[in-house]
Amino acid sequence: MLSYVIKRMLLMIPTLIGITIITFVIIRLAPGDPIALKAQSSMDALGSDQAQVAIVEETRKLYGLDKPLYVQYAKWIGQIATLDFGTSYRDHRPVIDKIGDALPITLTLNIISILLIYIISVPIGALCALRPRTFFDRISALGLFVLYSLPSFWVAMMLIIYLAGGDYLNLFPIVGFESDNASVLPWYDWIGNVAWHLVLPVACLTYGGFAFLSRFSRASVLEVIRKDYIRTARAKGLSEWKVVVRHAMRNALIPLMTISSTLLPALLGGSVIIEQIFSIPGMGRLGFESVLTRDYPVIMAIAFISAFLTLLSILITDILYAVVDPRITFEDKG
Amino acid sequence: MRLRSITIALVCMVAACSVRVERNPDVMVSTLNADPTILNPVLQTDANAYSVTAYIYESLLERDNTTLEEMPRLAERWEISDDGLTFTFHLRKDVKWQDGKPFTADDVIYTFNQIMNPKIDSARLRNYYKDVEKAEKIDDYTVRFTFKYPYFRALQMIGGMSIIPKHLYDTGADFNTNPLNRTPIGTGPYRFKEWVAGNRIILERNEDYWREKPRITGIVYKIIADSTVLFQLLKKGAIDTATIQPIQWVRQTESEHFNKLFRKYKYYPPNRYFIAWNHRRPYFSDKRVRKALTMLINREAMLDKLFFGQGVVVTSTVYRFGPNYDPNIKPLPYDPVAAVKLLDEAGWKDSDGDGVRDKDGVKFEFDYLMRAGSKQGKSIGLIMKQDLGRVGIDVNIRQLEGATMFKLLNERNYDSMSFGWVGPPEDDPYQVWHSTQMEKGSNVIGFQNKRIDEIVEQVRREFDPEKRKKLLYEFQEILHEEQPYTFLYTLADLVVLSQRFIDVKEYPLGLDMMEWGVKPGVKILEW
Repeated sequence: MLSYVIKRMLLMIPTLIGITIITFVIIRLAPGDPIALKAQSSMDALGSDQAQVAIVEETRKLYGLDKPLYVQYAKWIGQIATLDFGTSYRDHRPVIDKIGDALPITLTLNIISILLIYIISVPIGALCALRPRTFFDRISALGLFVLYSLPSFWVAMMLIIYLAGGDYLNLFPIVGFESDNASVLPWYDWIGNVAWHLVLPVACLTYGGFAFLSRFSRASVLEVIRKDYIRTARAKGLSEWKVVVRHAMRNALIPLMTISSTLLPALLGGSVIIEQIFSIPGMGRLGFESVLTRDYPVIMAIAFISAFLTLLSILITDILYAVVDPRITFEDKG
Repeated sequence: MRLRSITIALVCMVAACSVRVERNPDVMVSTLNADPTILNPVLQTDANAYSVTAYIYESLLERDNTTLEEMPRLAERWEISDDGLTFTFHLRKDVKWQDGKPFTADDVIYTFNQIMNPKIDSARLRNYYKDVEKAEKIDDYTVRFTFKYPYFRALQMIGGMSIIPKHLYDTGADFNTNPLNRTPIGTGPYRFKEWVAGNRIILERNEDYWREKPRITGIVYKIIADSTVLFQLLKKGAIDTATIQPIQWVRQTESEHFNKLFRKYKYYPPNRYFIAWNHRRPYFSDKRVRKALTMLINREAMLDKLFFGQGVVVTSTVYRFGPNYDPNIKPLPYDPVAAVKLLDEAGWKDSDGDGVRDKDGVKFEFDYLMRAGSKQGKSIGLIMKQDLGRVGIDVNIRQLEGATMFKLLNERNYDSMSFGWVGPPEDDPYQVWHSTQMEKGSNVIGFQNKRIDEIVEQVRREFDPEKRKKLLYEFQEILHEEQPYTFLYTLADLVVLSQRFIDVKEYPLGLDMMEWGVKPGVKILEW
């Protein structure tokens, strides 16, 4: 087992290098360059005669963008080896600080909303599977698919205008994570304050996720529930609860785990739209703004971290398979 | 079970009320649409940074709110040599940095040297100062700047340079990454207190300010990206001032409740919008065609439809409400009949009967580039496509991302696009109009006119405002005749401000917070 994990870890290195090379080349091939964008944030300074061209060249040198691409890449990968992500072109802050600011916010939001999605949709799916093609099955499917198809920016706007605006109900705060002076509150009130701030964004992040997961868990429960061992369990006279939760769900969870391998990277990636609307400074906005301003160090760092997490979570899922299903093993049988 | 959930709901509601916080009425809450990149006037390039540092850092001169003339600030007086090349500034002796150290000539020279230093990421600013030959310190409170050529904006440029503290920056640390760039210390009326990235920036009053202190004791800038959210926050009373959208201004601010809480102000900052025609294309090289295009584009209707009439149609790039705009030139009327005549005259006729005009085998068919997601750009494109399509001109709308658009513009590889710019009230037409700026400069349309070249060269060296005005009147006449761009409009800034503030005066370029007071006895609860 251990040797298997080590082998997989070592295999991740060339994969990561491959991913970063491709990302590096793609963002450089994209038209536009950070220096020109900076020198010409408005019309009046679109580079002009000799002197201005020289100034742009100087800046290019300052950022190290005058060297050939492979030299730049080699320099970048060298820095990464020491976990140095460089500094942003935009504001000269260390990239790691910028990510450090954005990550906890995105993590909090995503953990809460992903948990909610699982807690709500897995039982709904299971319930549907136990009563297939009944009224409940159909109506919940319809309801969840309606939710799934509502665009989040529209829902966010409606929630804000009707539940948190100045015209109708004014129940919730709209922006940020906590009130500006929230630090003066005692801790229990502070938690209340933060929770109250999170209600609307979390609602927007969750509602669309129910449909897929509940249908998925319905299908896998449905498959298991007709198996012989379930009939045996029922024949033994076990209560329905025990049959479903102890016998059916355990096996139904295995396909669900495959999906959860996308969880870790999903936790990291923020939603640009929701973050923009609720003024939440998370990873989505950071990545989006970096792409728009061609802030190469930040783009590369985000790409690297999410690639790493994706590989890591695939590995973790593989290991978990062995944990839940004793038939799967990584030991050499030969 | 039922009872329990009701109780829980009630507890939650009570908790929700108790977690509200009271806020200080003497502090103004304003907004920015994104985090500033950096709070250092030498390095910053974005408008958000300028609006914050304007209260922290100061410059040698300032512009009078009413006359727009240069007035003393950190410099108490100045002299200009007869040849217009040297500018000598005498600095105030009673100014202190917010850390208590005195402000001297060294700070001015240091700031200038940083701008000119190629190791420093100030490319944009350096462009403006490249004609300065030298900057010298005469004594601790006197500095002299010498220019290579006489230039009418020289005084504004030197006078408008925000001065940074030498004693704090010049410590051997790297300038570009200095932590001071995020915790600035200036000489201004407000000092920096806190910056929570992506959330808020807080300034508090500088109690040791060298002249009369403002009455507002602090400014909070909340970072709000979305304009609908901004407006809802305003209505909730969570922010005190905001620049709002025309539709909100016209349709959503008439309620009695709103007007009890807020006052509305409208003014015209120096912005101008236009459609650029690339003169390198065969169809745009003929001025009759350009005239026809202008007459085919209903600018008044665009203003009405897109901006609810909150703007004015203009005839050139000269600031509509500045000293040099010629109000006697009237915009070309919307007149499709006359336009069609001009097109026929210029030889653009539909000779092969496919519904699209052509000349010498070239079809009158062009791309209009717009920034993806720009509502204004898209609406202009759609209106153009429809109106020009009716008379046999085919417009293809291409949506591009901003950086890509800039690249095409720089390579001069485009047919047409619309954009706007914001400049000083009296700007220098050289970069945009002189024929030497065609290849690498801002003359992106490739406009060439001998007389225009002469005029913009003379304007640069003319210190007499009256003579400059005369030259610029002629300049505007030529532009009107040539229609190098289709000039669209100048848009109003629509500002809403809480009734809580008193002594608010309106000026041509906006409001001046430094004068305001606060009504006593107001209590505000916030989220």
